[in-house]
Amino acid sequence: MPLKEKIEAGGFAVLAELEPPKGADFHSLLANADLVKGRVDAFMVPEMANSVVKASSLGGCAFLQNRGFETVLQVCCRDRNRLALQADILAAGAIGIKTVMVVQGDDITFGDHHQARAVNDVTLMQLLEAIAGLKNGKDMAGIELKGAPDFFVGSTFNAGAAGGALDLEIEELKKKKGLGAAFVVTTPVFDTDIFEKLLVKLKPVGVSVIPTVLLLKSAGMARYIDRNVKNIFIPSQLIESIQKAPDKPVECVSIAGKLISRFKEMGAPGVLVSTIGWEEKLPQVLDEARL
Amino acid sequence: MIVADRKPIEEIIEYIKDRDKVLIVGCNECVTVCEAGGKKEVGVLASALRMYFMNQGKEIKIDEVTLERQCDHEYLEEIRNIVDQYQAIVSLACGVGVQFMSEKYFKTQVYPGVNTCFMGVTEERGVWSERCQGCGQCILATTGGICPVSRCAKRLLNGPCGGSSKGMCEIGGEVPCAWQIIIDKLTALGRLDDYEKLAPLKDWSKERAGGPRKVVREDVRQ
Ligand code: SF4
Ligand code: SF4
Repeated sequence: MPLKEKIEAGGFAVLAELEPPKGADFHSLLANADLVKGRVDAFMVPEMANSVVKASSLGGCAFLQNRGFETVLQVCCRDRNRLALQADILAAGAIGIKTVMVVQGDDITFGDHHQARAVNDVTLMQLLEAIAGLKNGKDMAGIELKGAPDFFVGSTFNAGAAGGALDLEIEELKKKKGLGAAFVVTTPVFDTDIFEKLLVKLKPVGVSVIPTVLLLKSAGMARYIDRNVKNIFIPSQLIESIQKAPDKPVECVSIAGKLISRFKEMGAPGVLVSTIGWEEKLPQVLDEARL
Repeated sequence: MIVADRKPIEEIIEYIKDRDKVLIVGCNECVTVCEAGGKKEVGVLASALRMYFMNQGKEIKIDEVTLERQCDHEYLEEIRNIVDQYQAIVSLACGVGVQFMSEKYFKTQVYPGVNTCFMGVTEERGVWSERCQGCGQCILATTGGICPVSRCAKRLLNGPCGGSSKGMCEIGGEVPCAWQIIIDKLTALGRLDDYEKLAPLKDWSKERAGGPRKVVREDVRQ
């Protein structure tokens, strides 16, 4: 079932993140997708996450679509102005990409081309509005299109926000919904109890909130993320369990699998599995989650 | 200097129409030179506003003052004792002055009275044009002292785009082609060799693209 229908029918959608390579050799992208063929509803292809130069999301999506996989295109405000964004989105519609996810983009300083100039001509909200316009047959200048694209549109949600910041995040979520976003993908979540409460709180907004399950690689990585990455919290028992495990990668896979199961149990509309370099472990993660 | 242009008076009326007491503050530096926000312009704007509100049958007290500068604590402090009497300030300084005032007098609403445009020159009285965008890493040494960052429509750093015609930029509107001027100047200097060299990729992180900037000089810091 296509992603959109699955989410709308109240199913549990499985999204897997597949980063295009830094290079023109896409063999690994295809090999990794093949590993979970038929077990994943769509592949989400990031647009130069962390501002590190890689092949584009549109390129990765086109490549995978060509081989029969459904994809989610990321459109990012950081590197393209309103002309380039609209051009890519129209092309995406034409090659059969059905879902787009709008992101603002990490700052250039996070990446590997520090001297580059960020674009940020339009903001995430303005881009959502623009996509709604394109779906309606008009570009951002109000000029009629020859053939309007149709997309299932999503964006991001910071699940790590708390207190006043969470209230703001919810206000933004409402705005996103008003501009046509039907789903959001959250920052990585490790505390399922907190997330379950969040889901309940967000329910009235009427947007499908899809948590990200990040596959940890070691206790050290977990500790680093917990300490240094804003908005991601990792319970200490979880870090300890990796530390104590005889086979740490197996424990990491098991943690990811269990998280997915818990999200399914609590009625989340789906999950995005992010394996950042450990894509070959995707099948085991899904095994563990019995998917 | 920083070049600013006057804001349409309707915009300023809209800002202050519900206030009873407003202070208009001019600046004696750049905006005086470009005739957008000096003592004279403060007077003209204040009279026009008084006239407008009088015709509307509205009573708004509008006072005037012009400071030496609005980008230094020292001069901004001069209005500390009177600020509280006003519900709003219209600053005719550039955006820098408006903000410094707004930061300093945190409980007071400060409105911009001009549109701040660019760093530029007075070509002749009434004509100002852009010369610098503060890119943080000046390359004028290799471009004959003419800036392609601020004066080439495409910010090209390695010669003209091919759209230049009769010395004018392809965007029209009587904008001279920066690269035509650069080449003419390098020719006059006998340094066309400079033009042949490939300019390296520009480090935009030193420009505004790298985020809000700051210069800290420990040697002069107190
Ligand atoms: S090169 Fe940069 S600093 Fe120099 S004049 Fe041009 S914009 Fe200004
Ligand atoms: S015509 Fe000259 S100034 Fe205009 S964009 Fe081309 S090179 Fe730059």
